[in-house]
Amino acid sequence: MFYVGVDAGSRTIKVVLINDEDMRIVASGICNQGVRQTALAQELFNKVLFESSVERKDVGRIVATGYGRNALDWADRTVTEITCQAYGVSAQTPNVRTIIDIGGQDSKLIRLDQSGIVHDFEMNDRCAAGTGRFLEIAAERLEMKLEELGENAEKADQPAAISSMCVVFAEAEIVGLLASGESPENIIAGVQNSIAKRIGAMAGAGIKSPIVFTGGVALIPGMKNALAKLLNHSIRVAENPQMTGAFGAAIIAAEQRSVINRGRCNCMVAVH
Amino acid sequence: MRAERNAKLDSPITYFQSQVENCLDYADMRKKKGAKIVGIMCEYTPREIIMAADGVPVCLCGGSAEMAESAEKCLPSNLCPIIKSTFGYSLEEENPFLEMSDFLVAETTCDGKKKMYELLAEKHPMHVVELPQKPDDRDAFKHWEAELHKLKGALEKQFSTSITDKKLRDAILVMNRERKLKRELAGLMKSENPPLTGRELLEMKSLISAIPDDLEQYEKALTMLSGRTINPSAESRVRVMLTGVPLPHGAERVMDIIEDSGGLVVCQENCTGLKHVQEDVDETAEDPVHALAEKYFHLPCSVMTRNHGRIEQLRALAGEYRVECVIELIWQACLTYDLESSWVKRLAEEELNLSYLRIETDFSPSDSARIALRVQSLYETVKGRKVFNN
Repeated sequence: MFYVGVDAGSRTIKVVLINDEDMRIVASGICNQGVRQTALAQELFNKVLFESSVERKDVGRIVATGYGRNALDWADRTVTEITCQAYGVSAQTPNVRTIIDIGGQDSKLIRLDQSGIVHDFEMNDRCAAGTGRFLEIAAERLEMKLEELGENAEKADQPAAISSMCVVFAEAEIVGLLASGESPENIIAGVQNSIAKRIGAMAGAGIKSPIVFTGGVALIPGMKNALAKLLNHSIRVAENPQMTGAFGAAIIAAEQRSVINRGRCNCMVAVH
Repeated sequence: MRAERNAKLDSPITYFQSQVENCLDYADMRKKKGAKIVGIMCEYTPREIIMAADGVPVCLCGGSAEMAESAEKCLPSNLCPIIKSTFGYSLEEENPFLEMSDFLVAETTCDGKKKMYELLAEKHPMHVVELPQKPDDRDAFKHWEAELHKLKGALEKQFSTSITDKKLRDAILVMNRERKLKRELAGLMKSENPPLTGRELLEMKSLISAIPDDLEQYEKALTMLSGRTINPSAESRVRVMLTGVPLPHGAERVMDIIEDSGGLVVCQENCTGLKHVQEDVDETAEDPVHALAEKYFHLPCSVMTRNHGRIEQLRALAGEYRVECVIELIWQACLTYDLESSWVKRLAEEELNLSYLRIETDFSPSDSARIALRVQSLYETVKGRKVFNN
């Protein structure tokens, strides 16, 4: 039997199909979020099924997560992205203690206890500073591609100080820095540091390892290093970092059934 | 069947849904008979002294987002929404109770209120009571008792009356009766299957204390509600302790999010919940002002340092009400509760082994989806832990 997780995020929709025999990803897909949220997610789901030659009747259960989770009325259940991230990342890294998730429009820091259960979490969802959107805007201003950001940041000799607490003002600050002759490399390194500082503020004192980095921003070169340097801890980027939420949702979908079928322990540590 | 049965049992709940109208009628009636309307804004204010001066104490705390916005013409935007809303009502002259008040008894619960009162006092005669800051200090109680004597004097002067010990004792008796009834009503939530929701209990209050009809309804509720059921049933919900700032009339949004997301607020440790009804006043004391000073001195208000009483109260209530998690509500820019939340989080997580969530917001609904996400995630953790521990 197959199980599906759908992560309807603020910028992209992710679908993950897993096989409950070994809880591995059979197929996955991603598309941009849009106005027709429900239809877009449905189309992506159909595409993933088609490409993996799985029929709808062989899908046991669907769990939806992400901002748009409640709009997906064809899902069997909704679970918050906090719990789904914890499941998805724990499945890859069973002893994970901290998850840093930086998405398109928010960032989260999730602390897990020794048994893999969410202990608590912090979220920055009131402003775009500290999110992927900030990097997009900065990249556009600096005429860089997102995938070049890391390479360029490494060339910085003196990362610029970006102090604005708001993306709109930070953009103005970038314009000002360019006008004063600051190099784009120093500016982009400064932007990455400023996002890392936001995460550092959420982490507070006593961040626990292993730390796993997820979300679209984890794919952007340079961010992992900026975070590791600021937090003074080594950081692991999750496998398919954009997919961990949907993966977790799929595991939850499968697990509910397996509890009944096989009497498996319904807890995070048992799922890997 | 259940709906029908509930409809009959609901009459006390329905009664309190028109509490504002009831209070207006009552205040009008009393004013016509010569009583004075006295506005108050804090549970630390001893209503008994006001009542002994033939005053009708009425709560003026604002819960309206609209009025909070209006106050920003005059007050800083980064201020507690209760302060803004209360003051906004004054600017707009929209709170009938404030407009009909003969006198205001204010207090120094926080710097924001204290300074707002200066502006409010331009339009309304006012006496400010100074609250103790260091309850463990040996001079603190003496100072507080002296403050109550000053309040008594101020009321006597303002209303050209004399507050006798007999009048104080009568007021103490009726307030003790109300506190006992409210305590017992809240105590219904200790049950495995509470007969009402936290939101329903929150509404069973009144802007004016000890209205005879209200007391009758509380009594009726105690006998009638025990046979009632709620939907969805309590078994499927997470038992929540809500602590932190009060939820004045109109500002029930967070309570709704908590209960609509699968929780049941079984215990409210705040000034619209149990905080001030936990202790009564000694009815037989020789010096009623001293007895009043004792009761109010023990109120664990976050303006105190250290406020050990609140931690003790939270610890006791968490056990009595068998809560499964603690949600702390902080109104934006409420520094005292915000900073004190560190101690509450520590108590919940380290000592009581309960999940803790802190929500900081104001009266505007813009962040409701964000709050719901946090609350739902908290419940998932609570339920996950339950499965894990079993």
